Amino acid sequence: MSGFFAVALLLAAPLLLAAAGELLLERAGSIQIGLEGTMLIGAFTAFAAARSGAGPHAALLAAAGAGLLAGAAFAAFAVAGRADPILVGTAWNLVAAGGTAFSYRLLAGETGSILEVKALPSFVFGLPAAALAAFLVPAVLEVFLARTRPGLALVAAGENPLALEATGGSVVAVRTAASVAAGALGASGGALLVLTVSPTFVEGVTAGRGFLALALVVFARWKPLRLVPGALLVGGATALQYRLQAGGGTGIPYAVFLALPGLLALFALAAARGRGGAPKALGTPAP
Amino acid sequence: MKQESATRRIVVAAIALSAAAAALVGLALLAGASPIDALRALAEGSVGSRAALGETLARATALVLTAIAASVAFRAGVLNIGLEGQFLAGAVAAAAVGPLLSGAPFAARACLLAASTLAGALWVLPAAYLEARRGVPEVLSTILLNLIAAAAVSGLVRGALQDPKGDYPQSRALPDAVRLAPLVSGSRATAAIVAALALALLVTLVLEATPLGLKLRVTGLAPTAARAIGLPGARLRLLAFSASGALAGLAGGLEVLAVTGRLYDPFSAGAGYTGIAAALLGGSHPLAAAASATLFAALGAGSSAMQRDTGVPGALATIVPGVLVLAVLAARARLTQKGA
Repeated sequence: MSGFFAVALLLAAPLLLAAAGELLLERAGSIQIGLEGTMLIGAFTAFAAARSGAGPHAALLAAAGAGLLAGAAFAAFAVAGRADPILVGTAWNLVAAGGTAFSYRLLAGETGSILEVKALPSFVFGLPAAALAAFLVPAVLEVFLARTRPGLALVAAGENPLALEATGGSVVAVRTAASVAAGALGASGGALLVLTVSPTFVEGVTAGRGFLALALVVFARWKPLRLVPGALLVGGATALQYRLQAGGGTGIPYAVFLALPGLLALFALAAARGRGGAPKALGTPAP
Repeated sequence: MKQESATRRIVVAAIALSAAAAALVGLALLAGASPIDALRALAEGSVGSRAALGETLARATALVLTAIAASVAFRAGVLNIGLEGQFLAGAVAAAAVGPLLSGAPFAARACLLAASTLAGALWVLPAAYLEARRGVPEVLSTILLNLIAAAAVSGLVRGALQDPKGDYPQSRALPDAVRLAPLVSGSRATAAIVAALALALLVTLVLEATPLGLKLRVTGLAPTAARAIGLPGARLRLLAFSASGALAGLAGGLEVLAVTGRLYDPFSAGAGYTGIAAALLGGSHPLAAAASATLFAALGAGSSAMQRDTGVPGALATIVPGVLVLAVLAARARLTQKGA
């Protein structure tokens, strides 16, 4: 059974990183529903870096770097440019899905064979250090948001942007910084998939995890520590799905297992009663 | 979705088309191909021959319908990001009902499409319920319903709907008599594209020239004002939401009936998401959205030929619509800030 828990933790870690980044951005008042795309960018960057000879840790760093740039690009449109973030996010997913598929084909050529990369080494219980570190991120965010000056400015940008501007802060600057951090975290989450779960890249490798992470933020009611149980629940459901799939003959239709993480997230949203706890200025343009 | 002046729309379109052209040229160069050769292959593969044009029109059917579907929802202020899931629900219904049908092809087709349309509309209901009763934003719930629909397709073609003849993850084929035959031999285009374009016209008429359309547009543009003049906002939103789902479901049904003949996994190459991009590019006007969808279909058809002839990856057809939408959003936001 310890194997099951290790797999559940391993599957929860990418979700947790991505959701933590998204939570930070949403607390600042913006929203990136193209998180799936950002995770794909991270996954591909890690793969490309590892294929060109970087070690797994360097590949993870490269993905985080690509995520910083992705976050800055998103902010250029949706924060500084003041375009509707929901629409930017939708287009973002198309560009990221197409862009990573395009780049993968250029890198891998016509071969149909699977190109493997070196996975992150195990630290304890078969889990790499980076996956374990993911579980510390919510605690760090909790302290950052409640106890530090930049954290308070970030919360102000999401709750009362005009007040932040009145006290000399810049909503655009704060939200851009949050977007950059969210990009790095989301891309690292995507990279973890390639560097732990399955050490290769395939088109759409993130398989909807970015969308599940979006739902997790609502389920956690925008409180960082509450991301952990949600991520473990979805990670556990996915681990269960793998296990039962391999076992077979349960009498429960295969489709139900595949749909389990999505169904869980949908029920979690219903249970969280929608917008309760959402930042007041969520999704509104900077003043 | 805000209305904008004609001049502004032309400026925005010019900026967006330049961005798309730049992306095309840049991506071709990145792939080590001559941009001229890539563009020629793209044009030949999309409109260069009867077969190519047929391929474009065959691909356009689903995209035109999802683009209209997105337009209806957006105009009423409903952010239906779940067209992909509703499209899949329609395709599943077609694959489930289709092989059972016998008798007159016309009646069989009508049954199949009715089932698809209904399935698409029903797939909206969980999101509509969660929005109305629990305050869950439809953006999130529809995205999750997309994931659930994709998982259901993947499971069903290996389970309840799997073709007993053969081990492939695909459903039974529709009877040949039921499937739509090509309009012209040597081309994949069927009467479905005509039906899709007629629907685009019909939806435009309803939205622009009927009291119901006016009510829907007011609900989308000014929800508070709509409430003040006594419009049933929740009911109008639900109507637009389910009409949008029904159109996307119909798209899924027609895809099975006219193009694939069966369901398999993965079934959709992002028809729902590309439809949203087409609607955004067309300013949520059904006819403009249908035109954008046809353009994206041509891009999709041409990119297969381009990949074959010049080695530029066909995924370009997914990137360019995204770039177009980003450019439109950025240009509009910039012009609004300038107060134009």
